[in-house]
Amino acid sequence: MNPSIIGQMAVSGALMGLVYALIAYGFQLTYATSKSINFGQGELVMVSAFFSLTLTNLGLPYWLMVPGGLLFGALLGLVVERAGVRLALEQKSEGWILLSIILGLFFFSAAENIWGRDDRPFPTPFQSDPIRVFGVDVTRQELSVAVGVFAIMGLIELFKRRTLLGKAFEAVSADRDAAELMGISATRTVMLSYALSGVVAALAGILVSPITTVGPTMASALILKAFSVAVVAGLDSGFGVVLIGMALGALESLASFYLGSGWREAPGLTLLILALAVRPTGVFGKAVIRKV
Amino acid sequence: MLRQTLYGSLLLAAFGLHAGDTVKLAITGPFTGGSAPMGASTRDGAKLAIAEINAAGGIQVGGRKMKIEVIERDDEAKNERGALIAQELAAMGDLSGVIGTVNTGVCMAGDKHLQEKGVTKIICPAAGSASMTQWSKAGVKDNSIFRFAAHDGIQAAMVVEEAINRHFTKVAVIFDSTNYGVSGRDDMLNQIKLQGNKLQVVAQEKFNIGDKDMTAQLLRAKAAGAQAVLIWAIGPELAAVSNGMAKIGMKAPLIGGWTLSMSNYIDNAGKNGNGTLMPQTFIEEPITPKAKAFIDGYHKTYKVDRIPSAVAAAQGYDAVYIFAAAVKQAGTTDTHKIKEALEDLKEPVKGVIATWNHPYTKWNPADVTTHEAFRREQVVMGMVQDGRVVFGNASDKARLIKEAAGTPAKAPAKPGPKAKGKTK
Repeated sequence: MNPSIIGQMAVSGALMGLVYALIAYGFQLTYATSKSINFGQGELVMVSAFFSLTLTNLGLPYWLMVPGGLLFGALLGLVVERAGVRLALEQKSEGWILLSIILGLFFFSAAENIWGRDDRPFPTPFQSDPIRVFGVDVTRQELSVAVGVFAIMGLIELFKRRTLLGKAFEAVSADRDAAELMGISATRTVMLSYALSGVVAALAGILVSPITTVGPTMASALILKAFSVAVVAGLDSGFGVVLIGMALGALESLASFYLGSGWREAPGLTLLILALAVRPTGVFGKAVIRKV
Repeated sequence: MLRQTLYGSLLLAAFGLHAGDTVKLAITGPFTGGSAPMGASTRDGAKLAIAEINAAGGIQVGGRKMKIEVIERDDEAKNERGALIAQELAAMGDLSGVIGTVNTGVCMAGDKHLQEKGVTKIICPAAGSASMTQWSKAGVKDNSIFRFAAHDGIQAAMVVEEAINRHFTKVAVIFDSTNYGVSGRDDMLNQIKLQGNKLQVVAQEKFNIGDKDMTAQLLRAKAAGAQAVLIWAIGPELAAVSNGMAKIGMKAPLIGGWTLSMSNYIDNAGKNGNGTLMPQTFIEEPITPKAKAFIDGYHKTYKVDRIPSAVAAAQGYDAVYIFAAAVKQAGTTDTHKIKEALEDLKEPVKGVIATWNHPYTKWNPADVTTHEAFRREQVVMGMVQDGRVVFGNASDKARLIKEAAGTPAKAPAKPGPKAKGKTK
């Protein structure tokens, strides 16, 4: 088959895969510090996207709307942490699983009631006309996804390595009890991780909305794939999610081209099963030796 | 004591309403969700007509004037909701009729309950062929279901005709995997054959409701050399197709069912939607005084500057006037008598789309057009242009203006001849 078509499918798939990777990265952030993840992350993506759309409709320019949307995402992350995660973690229960799902459902209903059930366009300053790079058409919106994903992940990784607060984050991730003995507040660090996770979710919403439109159900397909990406890549490798996310996206779109759109998800999911059978901790995960 | 009197009088008032002072008309459709632009526009167009009729004192039924009482039900475009609503309406007993339903699947799920009880229903604006052909397949002798919409058969014929007129030879056929999409594809392929196989179908592609990425299907169509895309689907996915075509730099017009005029297609596709063609029964352009009055009335009443689905609104409006004419002729609120009157309307009904002369005849299971109001000549080609639907072919516009001007009326047309929205 025509190599330029293969290239086209792989590239547009991989760019969508970066969105899966970004949402998966949000799972990793909270898992690192608290060994919990927000099962309502998809609703955070969706509600933040709606909020950003409202900011845009109020007349805010794109470059002011983005920080506004991210701040809102951070707030939502804090709400999830306070209402759904903290109590469960304090009692060492697994209640956060159910609570985060319930909060997600709550956000979903709220969005339906506030913004309605319709899909809406999300304006951006980027034009949707394609530009040709090495024989492959990409739109500026797709490129903005790549730029945004790498920028935010780069910034957060830098923050974790270079700042004192970031080092506290890493310390709690490595050993929560030891970090607490060193005077680091684990609770604050978990809050921070949920806020960052909310920021990441909001950015995912802002980046993907111009391509997929904004609607209450916009994240339901994304979130399942993001979760798969996080699990296959391992819950502690930022580099891993990017690689696996892009691979999954490319595979999906090649499958929909060669096998038909009905089979879009099949090869990706098959590979997920295989990957988990061979490496249960994830392809890029580290095996943890647990002493008993 | 005072409270008892109050309750008593309230009860009396409520009872009084039910005792037959009003003509009860149910309006159903999806007022929320992806099909809402059509459902809400049908409802709002119908309510505009009802408000006009009620403001004039109501319908002359037998010896007195009766107002129309509206019963609204949101089926959310869900088949099971539609079935429940139909059961509820069928059980009401004093209901005179039903106007509505956008989704062919909802018709299939619910209409049998109304038909069993003989409740008169005018389907508006669901266009899928199956919602009427189900009654001929079942061999129903006496049918209380009518349709007021340009059914898919007419639309598919026009889509194919348009592609041929524009000198395309290679087309891609794209459709969604719902009842609506698949039967639309069958209609189009059938029409290509009927109209002499002048179009070569180089690709047949489908997608699911909710799909956002159509790159694979479109790349296949592009690689096969499609010059135009014939399409049958619903708003949001249609927009994803237009946007996908822009992304891969595919310059071929979209020609398809009237759903291409839904606001959630036009808005989500933005400038990528320009040039898209679809059959329309009504174009939101004030080309006749009657159309202008309707459009202005809608904009003012619902505080919008564009009707979400002008076709659905105009059809809802005209359907109410046709229904009211049948009630008047029947001289009763009995839904069975209204059905008989509908099958033999003596007086022409002046609507915003056309003047309806004897729109329906006695049901014949071998010929569904007995209960179909629309014919080819009441449908025109619309085109998306900068966020609005305009006439696709100038000749259609000229024809409608000329026909409207053909008869004298009270309201003077812009400059020159007098007109009254007569097209048939």
